[in-house]
Amino acid sequence: MTDLLRSIIQDAWPFWLISLIASLITITIIMLAAVGTMMLMVWLERRVVARMQDRLGPNRVGPAGLLQSIADGVKMFTKEDIVPRAADQWVHMLAPIVVVSPVVLIFAVVPWGRGVSPSDFGNGVLFVLAISSISAIGLMMAGWSSSNKFAMLGAMRAVAQLISYEIPAVLALLSAVIVSGSMQLARMPELQGGWPLVGTTLGGPDLGLGWFVFTPVGLVGFVIFFIAILAEGERTPFDIPEADSEIVAGHTTEYSGMKFALFYIGQYVLNFVLSMVATVVFLGGWQGPLLAQLAIGNLAPLGGLLSLVYMLIKVWGLFFVMIWLRGALPRLRVDQLMDFAWKLLLPIALINLFSAALWVTINLWGSSPAWTIKVIIPVVSIDLLGWLETASPIVRQITALIVTAALNIAAIRWVLAINRRTEDEEPEEAMLDVLEQRVA
Amino acid sequence: MSIEFDQGKAYTVDRGAPKARNGQGMLAGMGVVFKHFRDAMTKKLDNPSEISGVFTVQYPEERYKLPEAARNFPILLYEDASGQELCTSCFQCERICPPQVIHITQAKDPVSGKAVPAIAEFLIEYDACMSCGLCAEVCPFDAIKMDHEYELSTDVHGGLTIDRAGLMRPISYYEQLAPSFWAEVKDGALKKLQGAIKRRSGLVGIAPQMVEVLKKREPSIQESGVGSQNTAIQNPEPRTEPIELRTQNPEPPSPPTPLPVGEERRSRGEGIAATTEAATPVPTAPASSITDTTAPATAPAIPAPSGDARAEKAAKLVAIRAANAKKNETPEGTP
Repeated sequence: MTDLLRSIIQDAWPFWLISLIASLITITIIMLAAVGTMMLMVWLERRVVARMQDRLGPNRVGPAGLLQSIADGVKMFTKEDIVPRAADQWVHMLAPIVVVSPVVLIFAVVPWGRGVSPSDFGNGVLFVLAISSISAIGLMMAGWSSSNKFAMLGAMRAVAQLISYEIPAVLALLSAVIVSGSMQLARMPELQGGWPLVGTTLGGPDLGLGWFVFTPVGLVGFVIFFIAILAEGERTPFDIPEADSEIVAGHTTEYSGMKFALFYIGQYVLNFVLSMVATVVFLGGWQGPLLAQLAIGNLAPLGGLLSLVYMLIKVWGLFFVMIWLRGALPRLRVDQLMDFAWKLLLPIALINLFSAALWVTINLWGSSPAWTIKVIIPVVSIDLLGWLETASPIVRQITALIVTAALNIAAIRWVLAINRRTEDEEPEEAMLDVLEQRVA
Repeated sequence: MSIEFDQGKAYTVDRGAPKARNGQGMLAGMGVVFKHFRDAMTKKLDNPSEISGVFTVQYPEERYKLPEAARNFPILLYEDASGQELCTSCFQCERICPPQVIHITQAKDPVSGKAVPAIAEFLIEYDACMSCGLCAEVCPFDAIKMDHEYELSTDVHGGLTIDRAGLMRPISYYEQLAPSFWAEVKDGALKKLQGAIKRRSGLVGIAPQMVEVLKKREPSIQESGVGSQNTAIQNPEPRTEPIELRTQNPEPPSPPTPLPVGEERRSRGEGIAATTEAATPVPTAPASSITDTTAPATAPAIPAPSGDARAEKAAKLVAIRAANAKKNETPEGTP
């Protein structure tokens, strides 16, 4: 944006002014995109869930009900802002801001299309992880300051859930970072060109399909990350923090009007932006067929547009899956949620991290001195992986595929096996035991 | 299997040996949901008991056809062509009405001042009506029936107290609501109306919304020497010339479309004395023409009678009218 402005204005204005204006324009676009996206998401969710339940959904306001969100927004604006007398006024007021602003900040580092990135930030992955955790503080502020037991319970649950699922999410992202060797979100899609599974290592025409999700490591990482963002975004089946049948509305119980709407916006935008991160890291981002062919010359703008379309299709597809899960699944219990994160996702994510390291080792062995490890045994020095240096890339790829796939499948089987309920713990059996005792 | 214990019996379902379900159950559930999603996008069900597909009835645009027996609020009936009301103000409905929302004022004979079997005003408070339908059950003349209209909300205080003009509907309107119910009572109701017309035709009430229509039609009736403003006039021989009389009516009776509720409410009905005096197209009441409410336009093919026949008939009528007038005055004058 800065470069664009400079090319227009030339050197008439000082650089700092041009930078400032460019930043303000970018921020405005991001804010508008965030709110507009949220409205579209709410509409889509209501319509799609309605169809899944054999209903029609909102279809009265505007064409196909598209303006329903605007009507809701007007309603929210005109509502009275009620603050409980017992509430901590300042914290109560600040909480929605603390929840929403980091969520919008994540937009800063996520690329929308080829060359369309609000900020080309070197440590994008780290930034996303750091920023998205700040919401937890806002949730806790909301629950605590409301001095309401439901709000408190909801905030406790939300924070517990966020912290638990942060860890598998981080490990899953880390596996992608190891494989790609980059933390720069804007560069991630560029690294995912080429052919499925093998990427660009074998040459040939660039299909734009070398997405990480097509590798065993990336697939497991993607599934774990997707489950984790479901929990972070408080989506069904992990909508425990605002389980309306249990604790009214969780931390938003004491909020009304626009403050409540801010939480709502925050939640949907978080879902969207985390879907974007998942897309960029695992699903190739804006990468797709035909893009490499449209990269140069006069067709470059067309390619840019196509990349934006690819990106949006993938992100909205992920959001559709979220809606789909909401239509299909009931809510988990708190202990089930914790079990799932710590007993299932975390071990698999750790082993997946190891798989990622293996994948990189097998593919890059011998390419640089840093990768060459020799096992020293007192008598002789054996180069365990020396044969890889001489192997062809295709052999390396196949070896890597077999090793990581076997490791991941074994890990999943093992984790599922150790988590399986043993036979004498079946609820039916347990009930029978109790009843038999009573009869006796 | 089941186990008996103190409190009763407990059943357990044998689900077989526990097995590792690596998410297949969840995927199966998602498959079911997706099937519903797909069907709801493509299928519109008429029968809600089918498994998947949209069955929403989008109310203002689409609505279910109400069953014949549906009942909302009572209405009064009048005969389509002649505008004659079936109600004889017998007060049965007012008496039986549980919330007592029916208020009838009986008509008085303008000459003698005595009560006659017709209504001067008929009020129903729709806002307090409980839609029990007892008034329609009890009515011996099938003059009060339950309407199917339910979109009556208004912001006018007192706007749901409906008067005679607002309550009156043509028989054909009710017939279209509940054809089989009307078919059951049709003969009896019309016979009773015929009887009332025969005995004291001038006193049969005319639906307020029909007064103007009948006035317009009047000149042609007068031309034939049959109509008259005299309240005491009766039709001496209704059965002889039903078809002729209909041919002389230039316009068939207006289609039975009741006014919207709001407009009906505004037009307060006039008293029976005024209406009977204003227009009494009495002779248009032969049995065949009443029963044939749906197709009044079939008649015009028959040619009008010649001038001689008309004059002859007029003379005959005058004589009979005079006789009837005398006959009527005598019993009414001496109570």
